[in-house]
Amino acid sequence: MSGHGNEVANSTWLRAVMMAGMIFTVGIIGFGVLGVGIAEQKHHTWEDEHHHYEDAKSEWKDAVAAGTIDGDDHDSELYIAKEEAHNSEIAAHLSYLTYRTAGVTMLFLAGAYASFIGIGGFLNASKPKGDDHHDDHHGEHEEHHGSASPIIFAFGIMVFLIGLPDFIVACKAMLDETATAELGMLAVSVSGLAIIVIAVSNWWFEDLPFIGHGEQIATSYPFEGDHIRKVGLWVFIMSEIMVFATFFSSYLRMRTEWCTKWAFENSNGGFDGCRSEDDWVLTASDYLRPGGAKLDGFGESVGDFWTLLPGGINTFALIISSYTIVLALKTAKNTNWEAPKGFMGKLMPTRKAAVRNYLIATLMLGSLFIVLKLVEWSHLVAEGFTIGTVQGSIFYIATGAHGLHVFIGLVIMLYLVFKADTVGYDEDNAQGIEYFGLYWHFVDLAWVVIFPAFYLY
Amino acid sequence: MGEHANLYMGKDIYFWNFIVLMVFTLFEVAAVFFETVPGTEIAISRSVVWAILIVVGIVKGYGIAAFFMHLRDEHKWFNITFMFPWIFVALMLWGIGLSNPEGVTGLPSWCTPDWSYATER
Repeated sequence: MSGHGNEVANSTWLRAVMMAGMIFTVGIIGFGVLGVGIAEQKHHTWEDEHHHYEDAKSEWKDAVAAGTIDGDDHDSELYIAKEEAHNSEIAAHLSYLTYRTAGVTMLFLAGAYASFIGIGGFLNASKPKGDDHHDDHHGEHEEHHGSASPIIFAFGIMVFLIGLPDFIVACKAMLDETATAELGMLAVSVSGLAIIVIAVSNWWFEDLPFIGHGEQIATSYPFEGDHIRKVGLWVFIMSEIMVFATFFSSYLRMRTEWCTKWAFENSNGGFDGCRSEDDWVLTASDYLRPGGAKLDGFGESVGDFWTLLPGGINTFALIISSYTIVLALKTAKNTNWEAPKGFMGKLMPTRKAAVRNYLIATLMLGSLFIVLKLVEWSHLVAEGFTIGTVQGSIFYIATGAHGLHVFIGLVIMLYLVFKADTVGYDEDNAQGIEYFGLYWHFVDLAWVVIFPAFYLY
Repeated sequence: MGEHANLYMGKDIYFWNFIVLMVFTLFEVAAVFFETVPGTEIAISRSVVWAILIVVGIVKGYGIAAFFMHLRDEHKWFNITFMFPWIFVALMLWGIGLSNPEGVTGLPSWCTPDWSYATER
């Protein structure tokens, strides 16, 4: 980025460090309330329900052993009591997981946000003053320079990925006492992460002073006259469509061969290799949608309104966040903007505050998506739908890749919030929001395909 | 932005696009949630649910790409850039059809090669 036309004082970057402190505090409070306070209570409830289930199971086993009831009799009072206790135990376990995972995810998100914005702010605040305008002010001519930050960023990702297998093993060893690993196995990936953070902070350093002068323009057909950043982003989106298409086509290719409940019912009695319920394979949607093939002890589907709810809320959260970022862009570009009346007027007294608050709303909705996504994953794993199966593998890879895109978008959005709060966005430099919005809408678009394919079908 | 200055019932196109996306999402979830049309005995078959999911997906995808991503107002090369990878998506879907066991006998002849050697051998 070049031709900034604006100077940003080093002290401004210290606000990023303060922002990091605030975000981390919110994360710790969220973790304390949800992940420790409520989760501990839920854990006690789960233990009680577990003991209750063990008692009911022993009673039923004793009765079967004594010949008082038939082990296959699913109408006996003891069997019903045992299965009801089992359902209660599972419900209590999932309830515990909900709060625990939500709390831990909030802490993780807050830590990641605080690391990026805090370290970035600290590095940029410590730069010598002379670096503030190293590449702008070339007289009347706005000379354009390429930025090295994206290349350094890409290099950091490469280093991180090279060390990723060892990184995963080392992380697993930290969480699981039965696995062993050496600390050195973290080295390559952590180096990659450090390069990524430095590249991102430098990228922000270059962009923050940008107030709309000197946007680089394409000079060749067919994009002559268009902003180069915009063209680059569309080419990037093109490649992203192909990435998600590979996930989707892999899933569809395998899915059309699986003997699912859906396929069984749709083929009026099944097809070769799919003649009875014993042949059914369970997909994620069998656990999540009402009427899915995953059954409890009473032969009823475990999927209901509540299991589909996180995915449903996430769908709405992404759509609403797409709209809030449109509102942020619209507000930034509106030179005749007037503060709304009433409560909204207090929330958005100025155009600058309105843009920032719309971006904060988008950030919070995206964070909600990640929290609910991991809560949902924790429930699926607890129910037995793990990555160790083909169905689980494609589900977690596809939804995980999408979640990673959301997470990366949130880190970028964090910077947009910071810029909206300091330099501000207006009709001249709003393209920063517009081009990020294109990426964010694409993430929404990918979810439009993933949600029905993996959750409803 | 600003290309859609026209208001419809006092609201701009982005607002209405947002409303359509919300309503259609409710519709697709409801299609899976209910086994019969609410208030009737009419069963909703798997094929109907499948059709609803595809149609709703296309409508929602169009709403996001055309209005939120502004493709409707962009020049053709941005549209071509966006549409280009969908050729590969179509090819992959075609490949899925051909490589599926059902593809040997289940697909219409116009979209399959001559598989007769596979069935007659």
